[in-house]
Amino acid sequence: MRKLIAAISLLALPLSAAAAPEAFTIDPYHTYPNFTVDHLGVSTMYGRFDKTSGKATLDRAAKAGSIDLTIEAASLTTGDNDKGTRARSRDEHLRAADFFNVAEFPKITYKSTKFVFNGDNPSSIEGNLTLLGVTRPVNLAIDRFRCNSAAGNSKERCGGNASGKFKRSDFGMKFGLPNVGDEIGLIIEFEAVKD
Amino acid sequence: MSGLLENPAVQAGVAPLVAALIVAALLGRTRFAWLAIVVGYATMVALTTGLSFTPLTASRKIMLLALLAPLVGLVADTWFARRPVPMVLLAIAAGAAAVWTFLSVLVQIDGAQMWLAGFGILLYASAMVHALLALRDDPLRAGAAGLGLGLATGIAALISASIGFLFSGVAIATSAGALLLVWIVSRKPIAPGVLGTVSIGLPIALFSTGTQMLAQMPWYALAALLLIPLAVRLPVRESSPAYVRAFMLSLYALAAACLPIAAAWFAARSTVS
Repeated sequence: MRKLIAAISLLALPLSAAAAPEAFTIDPYHTYPNFTVDHLGVSTMYGRFDKTSGKATLDRAAKAGSIDLTIEAASLTTGDNDKGTRARSRDEHLRAADFFNVAEFPKITYKSTKFVFNGDNPSSIEGNLTLLGVTRPVNLAIDRFRCNSAAGNSKERCGGNASGKFKRSDFGMKFGLPNVGDEIGLIIEFEAVKD
Repeated sequence: MSGLLENPAVQAGVAPLVAALIVAALLGRTRFAWLAIVVGYATMVALTTGLSFTPLTASRKIMLLALLAPLVGLVADTWFARRPVPMVLLAIAAGAAAVWTFLSVLVQIDGAQMWLAGFGILLYASAMVHALLALRDDPLRAGAAGLGLGLATGIAALISASIGFLFSGVAIATSAGALLLVWIVSRKPIAPGVLGTVSIGLPIALFSTGTQMLAQMPWYALAALLLIPLAVRLPVRESSPAYVRAFMLSLYALAAACLPIAAAWFAARSTVS
């Protein structure tokens, strides 16, 4: 009987190894959450966060995965960092209490709750965005996804682009409405290296 | 109409002024006329971010305390306005409320800096409220202080990257201005009591501390703001008509208001963004 159990265990071992989720670490130099917002109904302004970290898992066999991103709110830039002759730049204003309130809420987080697959690759992510102390569901469509297998000294690397949208007023960021739009577009370029 | 109400000048200036004028005109013969301050502020809030208290962030605590300040004033006026020790305790309680307001920011500051910042907030907010309470028997001086403090806080906030606190400061300034205007016309100013002075002192202490903690106002601009309630205690000819006294006292307040504005400007120009 013991021999039978041992034999079954040995047979099952490669299967369980194959089914194990693979762990990845977000590459901060190739992962940038970008955002878009309407300005005065005239143009779409772009901004991005320069510092993001996090972890991800991927289990293609089980068609499952997870991602956990932490964004440094103070790292935002909209291209207006230089105040010139003005008292303050737009980025300084965006970091203040009217918008991202980085002194009180230095981190923005996104935690997935579910990966949806289309074939072998994830096609969308369901998850929760926490901004200004408010957590709300925000879903991301994965517009592009690909993994490069390990080669030489390089580990396996997966990456792509994801996009979504939310209303900033849902998170209590109401300053400047409606002149500065309510709907925020989210476009994330991401890469992660296998641990 | 909605386009008009979305205009920042209407939201922070015209609408609070009109709302405060209505309250001051209706209740002008009673000390409840000083509710004009909170009504002006509440009008600005309703037209900009709206009234919301969850989650209870520092900005929302400021809103909550600014709206509750007149109630505390009413209770104090009823029970202990004539006694000096409760006035000091009230000022210290205001300081403690300010520390509570910014606790979520303070806990993120490392080590001794956190205690230093917390003590600074306690000291500043207590001093501001105490300086205003000292004007509780003098409507024109208290009104002029509200005008100067509101404008100084608002303009310094604008320079320090916070338009929200600009709106808040200007709403207090226009409401105080509305009261002065009504009394110049009616020639019957009503003493603010604790109700009126706390309605100015606590919100101003919180707006300015908020601009320092959540935007970029330097700490020494806060110290300079404390000069405004002191400036309105300078002598004016008491036999002069109300409009002359109101004008002179407003002039004192606005002259002193230049200092915190200059401090904020100096800090903005001396830092690289």
